[in-house]
Amino acid sequence: MSTEYRFTPGRVILLIIMGVGILAGIYRLFMGLGATTNLSDAYPWGLWISFDVLTGVALAGGGFTISAAIYVFNIKKWEPLLRPAKLSAFVGYLIFVVGLFFDLGQPWRIWHPLVMWNPGSVLFEVSWCVMLYTTVLAIDIFIMALERWRAEFWVNFFRNIYVFLIVAGIILSTLHQSSLGALYLLMPEKMSDLWASGAIGPLFFVSAIIGGMSMVALESILSSKAYGKEPRTEALKSLGKGLGVTLLVYFAMKVTDLYARGATVWSLDWAHILFYIEIFGTVALPALLLFFPEVRNSKTGLLWCAGLSAFGVLLNRFNVSLTSYGGYRDFWYFPSAIEIIVTIGLVAMAILIFDFGMNYLPMHPEKEATATVR
Amino acid sequence: MAKAILNDTTKCIGCRACQVACKSWNDLPGEKTSFSETWSNPKYLDADNFNRLIFREIVSPEGKVTWHFVSRRCMHCLTPACVSACPVGALKKMPDGPVAYNDDICIGCRYCMMACPFQIPKFEWSKAVPYIRKCTFCADRQKNGEEPACTVTCPTGALLFGERDDLIREARQRIAQSNGRYHPEVYGEKTGGGTSTLYLTALSFDQLGLNHEGFRTDLGVYPQGLYGREWMSKVPWVALTVGGLSVGLYYINKRRAEVAAREKKED
Repeated sequence: MSTEYRFTPGRVILLIIMGVGILAGIYRLFMGLGATTNLSDAYPWGLWISFDVLTGVALAGGGFTISAAIYVFNIKKWEPLLRPAKLSAFVGYLIFVVGLFFDLGQPWRIWHPLVMWNPGSVLFEVSWCVMLYTTVLAIDIFIMALERWRAEFWVNFFRNIYVFLIVAGIILSTLHQSSLGALYLLMPEKMSDLWASGAIGPLFFVSAIIGGMSMVALESILSSKAYGKEPRTEALKSLGKGLGVTLLVYFAMKVTDLYARGATVWSLDWAHILFYIEIFGTVALPALLLFFPEVRNSKTGLLWCAGLSAFGVLLNRFNVSLTSYGGYRDFWYFPSAIEIIVTIGLVAMAILIFDFGMNYLPMHPEKEATATVR
Repeated sequence: MAKAILNDTTKCIGCRACQVACKSWNDLPGEKTSFSETWSNPKYLDADNFNRLIFREIVSPEGKVTWHFVSRRCMHCLTPACVSACPVGALKKMPDGPVAYNDDICIGCRYCMMACPFQIPKFEWSKAVPYIRKCTFCADRQKNGEEPACTVTCPTGALLFGERDDLIREARQRIAQSNGRYHPEVYGEKTGGGTSTLYLTALSFDQLGLNHEGFRTDLGVYPQGLYGREWMSKVPWVALTVGGLSVGLYYINKRRAEVAAREKKED
């Protein structure tokens, strides 16, 4: 299997960053939100919701995207990407859960939606789906660990319910990825016309697929560099194609939506500049670039396109949840040092866990002669 | 059955007795205030201020100056966005009027604050164990058969407490008999699907410059509290469709692979 896990300088630095983040988080728990964040009655949701929750979950869309592609749409070429995608999805949801823990006014009540129901609430559905899907991902990761421990009986046991896990993962992801956008259906009057759309649910869903695909491509290329292995070239070429097509679909959806609502598209204020960067720079541009085989078949080309698309998903989530508020209130929000430190700590945690998983878990079962996948 | 408050702003003299009454009944701390460009004080509604009198000085095109006083507080919507937003059901619309909040359930997610079109729910930012705070419609006083603290205190009858239907009838009558002294719309009768706090004003909230200060005039009559529920009503069908398609295609793919493998063997 893989080499022994060692504390290289890079890992030590990440551990320190994560430690500082945890300390900042504990400080926040004792001092309260007002003392440690720049959130206010005018901006009840800030960096933690925009990044940890919305962006984290969207970029973790790779888990269900790749597994749906393989098992439902029969794109078997992507199989080598599946396990890293699941690992990165799990890590993304960890960011969500831990980030939300610090963001909630009463984090020790994070379990309340389990027993206190309000079935008409979009956020109620999101919390249930996220809880269940994180469990599904945890089981997926656990199966990989069981393989590593050679617990044949249990591996076979879980193989038997594998369909159930795949389908549950796809349903739950479809629901909450779109519902995270539907959260904003309730407040069209507070958002810029550019993003306040009745179609925000489907738009969030498709952009989560983009986020997932681009993160899988990024992680695959970067980790092959980091661990000095050959990247999965065939799978990546095909993934690049898929990403390009999805970006095109998303662009078409965006244009249709803006046209149908008759939104003012051409103007030169902050909202519009951010919108142009988002729609042209991070959707149209990578879609166009990926059209050329020279670009999508080269490691650097795909790396840049995937990076742009992933950044576009992040920008979209920030635009929907933060910047599209800009012109509405006479208040200004910029995250406090604590908010930023906690978020960076979470990212460090995510990289550490992903890196550990890549080393510890059997990532490429088709190469290794362990209990074979179906 | 359902109670409401009618604020006839033309009768208000700006004494702020309602603000004081609200503070004392809800046992909210006083605070040091300071002069600002308006007479309104404190500057914003927050976790310690459920009711705030807004002072507006309007200069007409002819140069005539008029004063307008508007008491801002929770609208107690008939179909509240906050209630539909809360994931745990900590906010409830009571049949007799109040939108009530339950401290013991709230997880502090603040989605209600995001959802409220009137930006009413406020958060106890300064506390380590924070709750949402807003006007309670004095539900505790109403339970004992008493009027809300603000309406019972109002010396000029600018704040009226009563049955919602009666108050709307009264408001319409005042508009009809006033010879154009009122803006001909009862704010809250239909706004956002209707509210239990109603306003009669001399000018529209647009003209008062308050449409972006909590009295939006672009909300329409559709209840904001239904947007989320509409979405939720589609969720089970999406789940079934996605699930059904996934299972079906999964088994078709599996079968195809098996057949392909067998044919290969037979060749």
